[in-house]
Amino acid sequence: MLITISRQTGSQGKEITELLAQKLNLPIITRDLVMSRWMPEIANQHELHMLTQSAGFFLSDSSQGITFADFLENKLKELVYQQSVIIFGLGAQIIFDDYTGALHVKIMASQEIRINRIMQTHCLEKKDAERFLDLTDRKHRRYISTIYGKDWSDPSLYHITLNTDNLSIDEAVSVLYYMAQNRQSLPSSQVDTLEKPTEKSVVFKHPSEEEFAAILDMHNIEWQYEPRTFPIEWDTEGNITQAFAPDFYLPRFDTYIELTTMDQRYVSQKKKKVQKLKKLYPGTNINIVFKKDFYSLAKRFGLGEDNNRK
Amino acid sequence: MNKSGIGKIIYTEEQIQKKIAELAQVINRDYKGEKLIIIGVLKGSFYFVADLTRHLTMPVNIDFISIGSTPEDLNITGAIRFTRNVALNLTGQHVLLVEDVIGTGLTLGFICQHLETFEPASLKICTLLDNPAGRILTLPIDYSCFTMPDLFLVGYGLDYNEEYRNLRYIAEYRE
Repeated sequence: MLITISRQTGSQGKEITELLAQKLNLPIITRDLVMSRWMPEIANQHELHMLTQSAGFFLSDSSQGITFADFLENKLKELVYQQSVIIFGLGAQIIFDDYTGALHVKIMASQEIRINRIMQTHCLEKKDAERFLDLTDRKHRRYISTIYGKDWSDPSLYHITLNTDNLSIDEAVSVLYYMAQNRQSLPSSQVDTLEKPTEKSVVFKHPSEEEFAAILDMHNIEWQYEPRTFPIEWDTEGNITQAFAPDFYLPRFDTYIELTTMDQRYVSQKKKKVQKLKKLYPGTNINIVFKKDFYSLAKRFGLGEDNNRK
Repeated sequence: MNKSGIGKIIYTEEQIQKKIAELAQVINRDYKGEKLIIIGVLKGSFYFVADLTRHLTMPVNIDFISIGSTPEDLNITGAIRFTRNVALNLTGQHVLLVEDVIGTGLTLGFICQHLETFEPASLKICTLLDNPAGRILTLPIDYSCFTMPDLFLVGYGLDYNEEYRNLRYIAEYRE
């Protein structure tokens, strides 16, 4: 799960994020963490200082030949690839704009409310609170526009915008908690369905296929279930008399997979079908997962072993 | 060290070292004039990486990655995780991933997908032992020393319950 939160100063975005993280038991990646733990890997003291002062400095090359912005982006991607997190600011709504299952949140409030809150929390006069907000808003906008060329306020960058003028912290957290839980409960195929209405949720014909899909999911390997049927025999009039639909297709590896957890006598039939397919469709990669190998995999990954027939 | 489970020696130290030297010559030719980043997959590949890289003549950087999962995470999307991630900058670099054994290719596929996100100039795969018969993912294996026999092997980095990695040869393990 990935939640990105962008907020205006004085919108209570920080408090909402912290409570949400607590409820979801997720770590928060903040600018402070990035500057104290990640950036020192490639930045010296002077560079760290410049990074806190100038958004443009993120586009400078580090001593490792990579810009600080690219380094940050790579680190975020590595982390998101490995675990669920909430990213607070850092342009994450743009870095992960096409990340399936991500929830991009913007938290804002009216100028008047924000000024009042800043006056209270920072013990400032009204004119000083106004100046403070003006400065921080400009910094937020500049960071996003300088590094990503985007307008921070563009509503299309977010899935939901919360106006906290009349919304308590608890109410805002409840809304986001519900959305996050709802997204998490959807398998990736269903999340895709929301974006691509033509795709359907998968109904497996056999439990072993579902287990195999789970093994692929564990490895973050994209799969499609029986996406294509190959005709492999025709009668004299050209009518298809036999066809073969491999169980899985792995697009990234251009590989079809056929599972054979059935009796040996059927395995030889499947082998013949695979051989025919290879002959008729040269260049098609298809691999058979045999019973022994499947159960070895299933055992290794802690899946059920009671599916002895297919 | 308990050597009671060791069976027949499948590849002797001499055979392993000869094969690695031959393979290194091919790699030296393929990457002539280029800098190469070698990424070993822990733990099984560390002897192989050590011996292979000492035959290489181009500028070489070496890094290691390690993957794993906890039992409670299994059956969850993305459960396989990096327990040690690559620290070198791979963007625009020629990368050679070094494995001890390639079987189903699932682990390798997982790692390659990850490394490709760094946009290296090239990514090739090198393995000590290849078991193409057990392959699930179709992946081009660029360099391979030996074909894996249908046996459980130990030694030269390969273990049984963390033992036998430090054997100089590769042998069959019998319970």
